[in-house]
Order: sequence, then C-alpha cells, then structure tokens
Amino acid sequence: MNRKIILAGALILLLTVIVLMGWDLFFGSQGNQENPYAYDLKSLKPGDTLQVMYEETQQILPGFSVIHGIATDKSGQIYIAGDNGVEVLDSTGKRLARFALEETGRCIATGSNGLIYIGIQDHIEVYSKAGKRLNKWKSPGDITIITSVAVSGDHVFVADAGNKIVYHYLSDGQLLKQIGQKDPEKGIPGFVIPSPYFDLGIGKKGELWVVNPGRHTFEQYDQDGEMITSWGKATMAMEGFCGCCNPSHFAILSDGSFVTSEKGIERIKVYRQNGDFACVVATPDMFTEGTTGLDLAVDSRDRILVLDPDKNQIRIFTEKKKN
Amino acid sequence: MKKNAVLLILILVLTIQLLNVYGVQRFPKPEFESGYVQPDTLQPDTRAELLAIMDIVVLTVALAVISWLVLKKRSRIGVFCTSVLSLVYFGFYREGCVCSIGAIQNITLAMFDENYVIPLTVIAFFVIPLIFTLFFGRTFCAGVCPFGAIQDLVSYKPQKLGTRLNAVLGLIPYLYLGLSILYAATGTDFIICRYDPFVGIFRFDASFGMFLFAGILLVSGIFIARPYCRFLCPYGVLLNFISRFSWRHMTITPAACIKCRLCEDSCPYDAIDMPVPGKNPEDRAITLRKLILICLLVPFFVLLGGYSTSRLHETLAGVNGKVHLAKSLLEPTTNNGQPETFEITAFKSSGKPVSQVFSEASAVIRQFYIGSWILGCFIGLVFGIILARQLIIAYQADYTPNKGTCFSCMRCVDYCPVTPEEVKS
Repeated sequence: MNRKIILAGALILLLTVIVLMGWDLFFGSQGNQENPYAYDLKSLKPGDTLQVMYEETQQILPGFSVIHGIATDKSGQIYIAGDNGVEVLDSTGKRLARFALEETGRCIATGSNGLIYIGIQDHIEVYSKAGKRLNKWKSPGDITIITSVAVSGDHVFVADAGNKIVYHYLSDGQLLKQIGQKDPEKGIPGFVIPSPYFDLGIGKKGELWVVNPGRHTFEQYDQDGEMITSWGKATMAMEGFCGCCNPSHFAILSDGSFVTSEKGIERIKVYRQNGDFACVVATPDMFTEGTTGLDLAVDSRDRILVLDPDKNQIRIFTEKKKN
Repeated sequence: MKKNAVLLILILVLTIQLLNVYGVQRFPKPEFESGYVQPDTLQPDTRAELLAIMDIVVLTVALAVISWLVLKKRSRIGVFCTSVLSLVYFGFYREGCVCSIGAIQNITLAMFDENYVIPLTVIAFFVIPLIFTLFFGRTFCAGVCPFGAIQDLVSYKPQKLGTRLNAVLGLIPYLYLGLSILYAATGTDFIICRYDPFVGIFRFDASFGMFLFAGILLVSGIFIARPYCRFLCPYGVLLNFISRFSWRHMTITPAACIKCRLCEDSCPYDAIDMPVPGKNPEDRAITLRKLILICLLVPFFVLLGGYSTSRLHETLAGVNGKVHLAKSLLEPTTNNGQPETFEITAFKSSGKPVSQVFSEASAVIRQFYIGSWILGCFIGLVFGIILARQLIIAYQADYTPNKGTCFSCMRCVDYCPVTPEEVKS
C-alpha cells in the first residue's frame, strides 16, 4: 500500500484521538444526563415479530385479587391457585367451582385420579375436586419453598427452591427420594436457584423435566434420580435464556415441545423436543415491565394458558395457523 | 523475525485486554440470600515505605544504566533490553503509577494548595529524570519510561513526517502541559491521569474508551513512531527544554562525521539535524530585519495568545466540578423532561446553600481568568519561538541529533560506519 496513504491514515487516527480527548474534557461530562448504572433492559427487549407464531385469543378474569399458579387437566378444565383459594373453570373460562384454603397456594397440579395437589409455602396439600382436603404432607425441610408440583401416575414431584432439590413422593405422601443433588460422578451439576423460580413438569412420555434456572438449562431425570439429558443455551439472543434465573416457568405441549416463560425480559417462547428454538408466543411489549411469575399451562387443545399476575388475568394464546 | 515476534506478543497482550472490555449485566437481581457478606469498600494501602524507596532506587539505577549504555557503550540492543525491563517493572509491575509524567500535576498542586502533602516518591520521580536529562540528555525517554517503551516496541514501519508537520503537531504537548498545570493548580482535575492511555493496559482493567485510546495510539505508532511521546507528552516538553542544555549528549558518530549520509533517514522521530553549509552567510541587513521581525512577532503572539485564551476562561472553568454544578443549578432542573443530574441530586442532599456554590464557583472562575491569561501567553510564546526558529538559519557542519527532540534511542548509531575501534586506531 502507498506509504503516504498509510501515514495519512495513522495521522488521522492520532488526530481523532486528540480531538476526542478535547471533546471529552470540555463537553463530555456536561451533556451526560443518563445514569450509567441504571437498571435498564429496554435495549434487550425488542423481539422479531416474524417469529411470533401465536396470538392472544382470550382472557379470563379469575375471582382472586392475587393469582399464583395454574394447571389444567385432561378434560380441559382450568385450575387456578390464588389468595386463600382455588378456582376450577371450564375451557371457556366459566367458573365451575371454588373452594377456600387455609393458606395461599403458590403452585398447583392435577393428577389422573382427579386429585388436586397444591404447594403451600413449605408443604403439599391434596384436595378433591369438591374442595375437600384429603391430605397434608409433612414439610420436607426447614427452609423449604415449594415452587412447583407435577404428577405422573402415582408419582408426585415437588420442586423445593429453598433447599434447591426435587422431592419424589408417592401420591399418598410417602417421600421416596431426592432428585438433583450435586453429584459430579454421575454428571449431576446440582441446581442453581438464585430466586424462588424453580419449575418442573412431566414430558410426553412421562419423563421428569426440571429447570435449572441459574444455568439456564432444562434437565431430564428418570424416576431413580439419574440425569438422562439436558439442554439449554445461555444467551441474550431470542433463542436462549438469560438473566439471573430463567426460564422461570414452563409447560409441555402434546407433541413434547416446551413452552417457556421468562422474567427480566418478559416473554413466552416454544422450544422443540430437542431443545431447538421454535417460535415466540408473546413478546415483552405484551407484559407490564417487571412482571414475574408468569406460570404456564397447556390445555387439551394445545392452547397456551399464561397466568399474568400483574394484569390478574389468565391469557390464552393459540397458534396462528390453527385459527 | 524478532520484530514480528515482539509484535505478535504485543497483539496477544492487547487481546487479553478485550476480556475486560465486555461485560454482561445479570438481571433481575437474585432474590435469595447466599450468605455472602458484601465487604466494605477499602482504600488501597499506600505502597510500603521500603518498596517506595526501592522504586526510587530502581529508577536511579535504570537511568544510570541507560545513560551508560547510551553514552559509553553506544548499544541499541542494551537500550532496547533496558526499555523492556522498565516496561515490565514500571509498567506492568508498578502499574504505571507513580509516573514522572503525571507527577507534574502533583508538584503543581503542592505549589498551589498548602493542604496537599506530596509524597517523596512523586518528587523523586519528577526530579530524578530531569537531573539525568540535564547531564546526559533524554535517556529517560530512551529506555526507562514505560510509555516510551511500549510505543517503541510497536514502532514497526516508522515513516518521516516532515519538519512542518512535526512543528505543528509538536505544539500539542505545550498546550497539554499548560492545561494540565492549569487544572492541577486550580484543584480541578489531574487530566494527564484521566487521559493516561496505557495505565489500563498495564493494570489489565482498561475500560472500552481507554482501550480504544491506547489501541489507536499503538496502531498509529506502527507508522508514526512514539506518537504519545512526540505529540502529547507534557513531561517531554520539560525534558526537551532541559536536554538542550545537557552536559553530554549522545552523538551519531563516535568521532568526526564523514558525511556519508547513511544515518540521514535512520531516525524515526525526525530528530536528526542535517548539516547546513555556512559558505554563503546571510546579508547583515536581512538578518537585522529578521531580528526586528522576531522581536515584534513574539510579544505579539504572547499577547494575542493570552487575550484569546482569556476569552475562553469560562469554558475552561466548566471542567471544574464547582463551576459545573453552579451552571447546572442555573439551568432548569428538568431539561426537556430529562431527570436532574446526579450532581444536583447529591448537592440537594448535602444541605449546602446555593449561594455558597455560586460564590465558590465565581472564585474558581476568577482563578481561571488569570490562569487562562498565563496559559495563552505561554502558548503564544511557544508559537512565536517556533516561528522564529524557522527564520533563523543555524549553521552546522555535521549530522547531529537534535538535543531537544532526540530520545537517545540509539537507532541511528548502528547506521554510522565510523566505529569506536577505528577511532582508537
């Protein structure tokens, strides 16, 4: 390359630095009105609208002032745990039943036997559909915070965010074992739970899936507590998870795909069975900034039910092509 | 081959810096307690007295060694090796602080603020290189200053800039020196430290801006040798001045110059003065006219510089925190819906009366008025002298290093065919 051009380029670089120094000294700090330490996620929130494959088709207003957990059963009925009670709705949102609880339920699941399992702070309570309490299980630990419960046949799995462990129970409340304890020899990394968002669910073939939110991964376990596989990608991009602990909740579609919800950047997405990103259900602009606890459920028609605690609604999303 | 290896190592070192440049925010904050107790913010301990003395000893020894290598051994390799060791010790081990360049500000502040206690190390780092320069020329720049050393390592394809460009760009260090003294004297800021390009690299914690600044200097330094030393370094201004009176200075040839012209293009810093034949001396009348012109021009530039800069004293004072706060208080608190600045928020919570801020700010502005007159006169004087030097023809017979601008790097020595052995024989 011509020496003169190189020299001119180097000179321009040098002069640019000197001019920038002068500008920064005299004008740099004066125009800066922004807080450099501001907690601002706006730049991370815009999503690609072309990836949105779902649309919001219905909202249901529960009869609670605060809502925490949602579940569905095979018949399509919807169960909502709210302040000191549970509501049972049909698939259109019509209220079928309501019963009171002594304490507020934080998470809820239904069994094939028609029983309702409710996680209440540090223990599980079992109710009939009619609202009769059938059992109250003993709290498994001193600092237990139950954040999720899932039922697979006679087996009940409970996520304890306080102790960072999953408990495997029989449906009568008998504790069989703990799952997910750190064991390098077995390749179990241990759960990293920085906040009380620790979800689990049952897959298409009855397998147990647990979110490891601090690692941004999903982990699959068999009923003996052995880890089978895991997937997940920590990234700021749409196809992965980011923040201190995400995804915060998930549900599983009939084809085995995962529906996930996140906090920080409030969004709902779908991942295929193998963990590949599939599409977006709802973008951050559809939620109030700062919303947490977007619990999810999927009904028998593969509609995605999103519990929005901020708007106090159950928001139903349906795949666009199905309309 | 050796140059390529050095360049490769430098690129690798700079690449490591990138690890610090990019950080990702974790959000939202975790809600669980992990049992971790946030430690109190601690001020770093001052350097142990023994180590501080060791620094002074190392500086003195390094200067003695480099002066011996330059003046007695005439060894370019020796100078290069010393500069690498200095880069490791004063740069990466001592993390670039205290440095002689920044010490200008401490000395200035100590002169203007009686409450400021200046450490002995700072005085030593300021004075010792100046003393060595007075005796042996700019040997400090040759291989003891870590700033010079790091730039010298990347000076891979240096190009000549030409006399005029060198003269124009050479004004910048005078301005930088004047500004740094003005801001230090008024207790405003240590701008040399604020815009220290290499300290972030030495400490492996450069912010993106600092990294960019250092990166640009080093990249341009591949083609323009030592850009910081030549066109920014305020300490270089003092060394330049003192070196002109140095007792002994390195020479290109160990004996009489044979005018072979081999060294003519050897200096990457354009610091070799070419022979000017004195066969046809200027007419006396022309010399007299030039002298009168200089006598008129220099005071004119001094006054013009002083007056022009004094008009900018409020802009210059705007950098001062008190003046900036007073200006912010005078402006509407919510400017176009923007939230109030942190300075105003902090001031409101301090409980100080607004009148106190304004009186303090006006006192600072008065200081800047006087300071800007002095700064402007100084710049005008420098400009006038540089212009006058263009009018004066200094006759000389040999190729000689310019005692002011020569860094004593010894590159030119290797080009000289006259060897010390020949001189002895």
